[in-house]
Amino acid sequence: MSLKRINKELSDLGRDPPSSCSAGPVGDDLYHWQASIMGPPDSPYAGGVFFLSIHFPTDYPFKPPKIAFTTKIYHPNINSNGNICLDILKDQWSPALTISKVLLSICSLLTDANPDDPLVPEIAHIYKQDRKKYEATAKEWTKKYAV
Amino acid sequence: MLNFDEDDNISFEYDEEEEEEEDDEEDDDTNIEADVEDSDDDASSFAFESDDNDHAENYKSNTTSNNNNQLDTPISKHLRDDSSVVGCNGTLYLPWSIEQFIQIKFLDALDKLKTFNLYGCSDDDLLIMLQYKKWQQEEVVNEFFDNHDKFYKKCGLLLGKDTNNQFEIVKNFSCFICCEDYKSTEVYSLTCNHQYCLKCYHHYINNEINNGRLITCIEPDCKFVIPHKDISHMYSLIESKHSVIIVEKTLLQNPLLIANARELINSKITYKWCPATDCSSFTELSISDVSCEAQKQSDLKNSNDISKVPIVGCFENHEFCFNCGYENHLPCPCWIVKKWIKKCEDDSETANWIDANTHTCPKCHTSIEKNGGCNHMTCRKCKYEFCWICFNKWSEHNNNYSCNRFRDDQKEEEIRRNKSRQTLERYLHFYKRYSIHETSMKGDKKTLRKIDEVTKIYMEDRRSKNEINNLSWIDIEFLPEAMRSLQNGRKTLKWTYCFAFYLASSNFSQIFETNQDYLNKSVEDLSEVFEKIMDKKNDDKVGTILKNKIKIINLSELILRRQKTLIKSAEENLLNGLLKFEID
Repeated sequence: MSLKRINKELSDLGRDPPSSCSAGPVGDDLYHWQASIMGPPDSPYAGGVFFLSIHFPTDYPFKPPKIAFTTKIYHPNINSNGNICLDILKDQWSPALTISKVLLSICSLLTDANPDDPLVPEIAHIYKQDRKKYEATAKEWTKKYAV
Repeated sequence: MLNFDEDDNISFEYDEEEEEEEDDEEDDDTNIEADVEDSDDDASSFAFESDDNDHAENYKSNTTSNNNNQLDTPISKHLRDDSSVVGCNGTLYLPWSIEQFIQIKFLDALDKLKTFNLYGCSDDDLLIMLQYKKWQQEEVVNEFFDNHDKFYKKCGLLLGKDTNNQFEIVKNFSCFICCEDYKSTEVYSLTCNHQYCLKCYHHYINNEINNGRLITCIEPDCKFVIPHKDISHMYSLIESKHSVIIVEKTLLQNPLLIANARELINSKITYKWCPATDCSSFTELSISDVSCEAQKQSDLKNSNDISKVPIVGCFENHEFCFNCGYENHLPCPCWIVKKWIKKCEDDSETANWIDANTHTCPKCHTSIEKNGGCNHMTCRKCKYEFCWICFNKWSEHNNNYSCNRFRDDQKEEEIRRNKSRQTLERYLHFYKRYSIHETSMKGDKKTLRKIDEVTKIYMEDRRSKNEINNLSWIDIEFLPEAMRSLQNGRKTLKWTYCFAFYLASSNFSQIFETNQDYLNKSVEDLSEVFEKIMDKKNDDKVGTILKNKIKIINLSELILRRQKTLIKSAEENLLNGLLKFEID
């Protein structure tokens, strides 16, 4: 059942690709995808391209996919292992969500971080106290790792 | 409700006679003297229960037929105005079944809420509001009158309009979730009309239900809540997929209410699940002050005062310790039990065995057990050849007997080795007895179950031939009592070996051992009587039971008394320090 659904999402992505991101299987294994998203223009990540790995559980879409950044990124809700703190990837997951919707949510997380529910408290602290410093570091990391 | 559990006591409906307060309320289904000949239903509840499906069905049909009028279900009759039960060593508790919990905490609240006649609310709505407010009906009423628009919205309900939740069969449907294209399939949708196939909905609910929260429409931004009734219906539809008849679940069997009840029970420290296998009931500790209880529990951790061990019983009469969650482990205090279980589980004794019985290869340190004559050893692993006696290289062994000369440093090694062996032997001695009684408990249970069946068949037979006058249920009423005391006696006996393992030897420990012997003897005697009854060569099994009636009653009484004496004396002697534990 999950395979049929994953195939459908893949063909939908091909037919109507979202403007700022792309995704597809890495090799023959349809349960393992790679995705890329472009840093949103109104964010310190602009100009960078970030890669993510996607693993589908066997009972997808009833369980959320496992998504992590493989490109280093400076963000209060993303830690050094690339793990993302996003509600729809956890308890707010719904089987009606798709990979393309999730990637769009991640894009908007890049624009609007959620410092009140941080994964990296140090970055969240700087984000709240000294936004300029945060933006500078994020820009620097983007230039260093994502260009 | 009646259950013959694998690992614990046998439970009989009328076991609850002990709890005298209950007698009045339970007249209907447990008064043995009165109703024996009245009706089938009654008789089956006195039957010596084993895997009594009849009764289970009876019970279900009772609850189903009364479903519309929740107050009349037999379960609410069990409600004993919160009067607690006193456990075998004075712990106050209240045994619960899940159904009872749902009835009293959820459905009774629903009934009360109904009396407020909240405008435009169906029963489904009320249930959702109640669950949202954690079953506090006052809060529902307050918030409803405070701002009912907002409250409705928060609960995922639709105000003022009829809901339009639908199960329907649709043609040419392609489900967004599983991406199947169906020629015709059953779909479910809420008022929002987001349709998904029933299979996907069921799968989705099955995933969500475990956290015990209200479940919304699958669509991520849609907040409509699925009513309890629809969840029940969906489960019924899926479960009866291959049959024409759909068995609807009552509210007591509602999967979401059960999940929610489990969640609530887990989250409160005054509730604990019965540890017996296949037992789904739980027990509430009757305490006035929760914070004081936490203190008490931490005190218990290292206390030798076994009178404080909170032994409670569950709805199906399994005794267990509320503190550590094991079966009734008296006379052992909780901390000893923990130590013992850990010891039995981990391989510390395996290590001792290896130490006592093997040598390590002097070169690669692999453990080697010698199982044959010659002392010229070759290590399998590294091919090193050495002498088993002196551990020197075999090729340097010019004179075979030089290694027999006594050297002082070897003596110490030998002493250590002997000590290991002794500890091991001591442990094995007690463990063997402990586990033998555990196995015997299972054996006893098998015999008891057979006796159950035999008597039941016999009585049914008698009744069908109208020969009931010869023998009535009262005449064999002593049986379940005796069976229970045998099982409990063995359980105590089993734990005395754990107790004895840690006990420092003294003159007082001998008194304990004497008590242990006595209990052992009476338990074995009774067990033997039961075994003889079930002997294959014995043709008149019921006759033997009646012939041995006095013997059985006496022995079961004796077991009870010896069990009590043993525990009491252990308790006292531990308190005055005459008995002490020795932990290495």
